[in-house]
Amino acid sequence: MNMDLNAYLTVAGIIFSIGFFGVLLRRNALVMLMCLELMLNASNIALVAYSRYNATEQNQMMDGNTFVFFIITVAAAEVAVGLAIIVQLFRKTRTVMADELNTLRD
Amino acid sequence: MSPDYGVFKTFAEANQWLAIWPELAYGTLALLLLMLEVLFPRYKNTLIPRVALTGQAILLVVLAATIRRVASPDAFGELLQFSVTGNIMRVFFAACGLAVCYIGGVYLKRERLPRVEFFHMVMVISAGMMLLVQSTHFIMLFVALETVTISLYLLVSYCRTSVASLEAGFKYLIQGGLSSAILLFGMVLIYGSAGNPLLPGTAGDPLAYSDIRVFFELNAHNYVAVIGALMVVSGVCFKIAAVPFHVWVGDIYQGAPTPVTAFLAVASKASGFIVLLGLVLGPFLPLAYIFKPLLAALAVITILFGNIAGVGQQNVKRIMGMSGIAHAGYLLIGVVAAFSVEMAVSAILFYLFVYMLASFGVFSVMAHVSREDDSIMLLEDYGDLLKDNPFLGSVLVVGLGSLAGIPPLAGFMGKLILFIAAFQAQLYVLLGVAIVGVVISISYYFGWIKAAVFRNPEVEPVHSTLYIPSRTMRVFMGVLTLLTISVGLYQGILSFVF
Repeated sequence: MNMDLNAYLTVAGIIFSIGFFGVLLRRNALVMLMCLELMLNASNIALVAYSRYNATEQNQMMDGNTFVFFIITVAAAEVAVGLAIIVQLFRKTRTVMADELNTLRD
Repeated sequence: MSPDYGVFKTFAEANQWLAIWPELAYGTLALLLLMLEVLFPRYKNTLIPRVALTGQAILLVVLAATIRRVASPDAFGELLQFSVTGNIMRVFFAACGLAVCYIGGVYLKRERLPRVEFFHMVMVISAGMMLLVQSTHFIMLFVALETVTISLYLLVSYCRTSVASLEAGFKYLIQGGLSSAILLFGMVLIYGSAGNPLLPGTAGDPLAYSDIRVFFELNAHNYVAVIGALMVVSGVCFKIAAVPFHVWVGDIYQGAPTPVTAFLAVASKASGFIVLLGLVLGPFLPLAYIFKPLLAALAVITILFGNIAGVGQQNVKRIMGMSGIAHAGYLLIGVVAAFSVEMAVSAILFYLFVYMLASFGVFSVMAHVSREDDSIMLLEDYGDLLKDNPFLGSVLVVGLGSLAGIPPLAGFMGKLILFIAAFQAQLYVLLGVAIVGVVISISYYFGWIKAAVFRNPEVEPVHSTLYIPSRTMRVFMGVLTLLTISVGLYQGILSFVF
């Protein structure tokens, strides 16, 4: 069975939207962090799909695949930093719910 | 069969490591600091700050001296492009890094926080920003941007005993992460459309600026790619805090440690502007039919929002945040003008330097007039500052006057040159809005100056919160203030830069 590019792009689009609305609507800090990762991974799927389907004899389009490795690395760094901040915040405030964080206000 | 050494020659010629010596030097210095901490733990608080500051000062001087020396324009297979603008921004970020390290060193010593990691990260960010403003390839752009942003998450939450700082770090993480993800998805959409072999002008390398530009020239109305470009630009607009993307500014400026707020307000914003200029005048230039009106609209709401929201704020960190939004609006006018007037780019650069001098003056005073809790800095804390400590008071007044654009200070010249560029580009409506904005801004800048000159009789004087600056700090602040005054009178002082 041959899947076309649009199938992959649809999946990427759906995952990106889940991540986007998850960050906006969910209040749990850990879930928000996971949603950020979903958005980055949606980009990865789209990148790999594009570079596979746009490849021709002359141009193998490898830079898309290369980019994915950079994104994975960056995402790992972001999670590491994010988890550290959330853990420290939990130790201080005993909560991971974003709407209970209201020290900073006008 | 003899091996083909030509391949190695090609590689060797494509990688010109000498061309990025400032970034490498910053990275090495940053690692050296961590090593010194392990090797000489006893001198942690004496040796390492000195190494960090002298190292950066030497680099700043060398960078300023070699500003006209541009390495061959593109190296590393079009990942980076070197130009005089890039060199000017290198000097800018070197100066920012030095100032932040210096103010930060004083601040962290007082708060009893570790200093080595702070210096380390500021240097990594400086190097990242230098690469960021010179990148002409989406992979380079993304990696440099994330180096900067992720280190900034750490710096914002650096004061890890304070809930305010951690909360600001968390909020910056979520909102910064969201904007990076949007930017990245935009890049992917452009990559996919520009690499489509069925369209005219298919890019050989659809992540490189030059190829994307060729693609957009032939397909200016390819809607997927245009949406991608819009997403990329909105990700950059988050960095410069243009209005629909400014939500983070208030909370994060307030919660972050004061030196980090200064870093965010000056260096992070400046890097965002240079990246924006590089994008809209580079690969997205064929899309000027969208971006010119779009950025003009953003400029209008940014100026009006920033200035109106600044009025009535009590926390001076938030005032700096809102005034930073307004300054981003003025600079956006410069970006719009840059579509048609060449001088606008140098006007933006000049404005950034002037803004840096004035902001660091104000922030270094703020670092001395702070309470135990760094996130609460109220206008009333400044009561009688000019009388009790005339030095801090006058540094503050000059800095604020320059930000407000009072002649003959440097800020006035910065605004004047920017507005002349806008006038030449015939952006009369934007000019009108900007002048209205400047008038509104006088109200909160002068409210602050008033708070420093007089005292509210109902409030007890809070000068337990006043820290007396050390002698070297006085020199540092004095230099910033003198430069602000003298650049306003004679712009040739910055001629080593321009």
